[in-house]
Amino acid sequence: MPLPQRSYQDVKIGDALGPAEMFLSKDQVRAYARTTGMWVPRFTDDEGARKEGLPGMITPGNMSLALLSKLVTDWIGASAAKLVRVGTTYRQPVLPDHNITLQGFVTHTSDADRTAEMDIWIENEDAERLVIGTATVHFTE
Amino acid sequence: MNGSAEPSKRVCEVRIDMVDYDPNLIGSVFEVTDPVPVTAEMVKDFCQAIGESGPLYTEDDAARQGPHGGIVAPPSYAITFRNGRQFFEHIPRFGRQGFDAGKDVEFVAPIRPGDTITLSSHVKEIYEKTGRTGSMVFVVVRSTLKNQNDEVVAHVDHRFMNRP
Repeated sequence: MPLPQRSYQDVKIGDALGPAEMFLSKDQVRAYARTTGMWVPRFTDDEGARKEGLPGMITPGNMSLALLSKLVTDWIGASAAKLVRVGTTYRQPVLPDHNITLQGFVTHTSDADRTAEMDIWIENEDAERLVIGTATVHFTE
Repeated sequence: MNGSAEPSKRVCEVRIDMVDYDPNLIGSVFEVTDPVPVTAEMVKDFCQAIGESGPLYTEDDAARQGPHGGIVAPPSYAITFRNGRQFFEHIPRFGRQGFDAGKDVEFVAPIRPGDTITLSSHVKEIYEKTGRTGSMVFVVVRSTLKNQNDEVVAHVDHRFMNRP
């Protein structure tokens, strides 16, 4: 599938990012924990996570931020633009071995800066927003 | 966009500055890490872990013809660099133990295989908020990432929440 290519003039408030649905497996979370040096029980092992008072192993907040950043860079695709800022707030743990949906929409554009602001979030099967955030994309064309 | 942007602006808009703390804490760098090398293998593993297959990050030929002239790490690779052993000891606490409430990241320049990255960290701000669940004190610690050429590649603001 060709990568999206849009200019700043193409972007409108309300434009959607995603939705991107995915099954986030425990193995994928463990792979992230392994490669980023976050190999601790809360991110790798249900039993170890329960000893910390958690319902089971959870997804690192950094991984949620990475997945949301990817939602934005996928939206940028081959456009002459780059992700310049992302911010996240962790509201509830993201539990692996569940389906999650990543999505967002453009909330603001600035002709002066040639930037687009967007709200982004991760929700679970019950449409609860587990991680919310904002991002800024700067267009050079 | 440049290094002067304030990633946590939205949070600050509702803050209440009632927290008692030593103002000398703000802005003083308390830790600089040893340089960490970035290898092509590390970037590849990271891409696999987040399901990234974009050509700028994974395909040599396509990346060479792209805006960065070669493979770069996905932007969020910036948050994989670990702070030093003393990092948490330097984060002021208010009441019960704090937890990671979120991050704000400003991506300034791409991180490439072959780079070595150093983090320097300081307390950026401390503020109080009152929400539905009561009073909370937020401590924002900024880690600035620089490469081997002393160029800033990213600012990472770690937002820790404490309940007094």
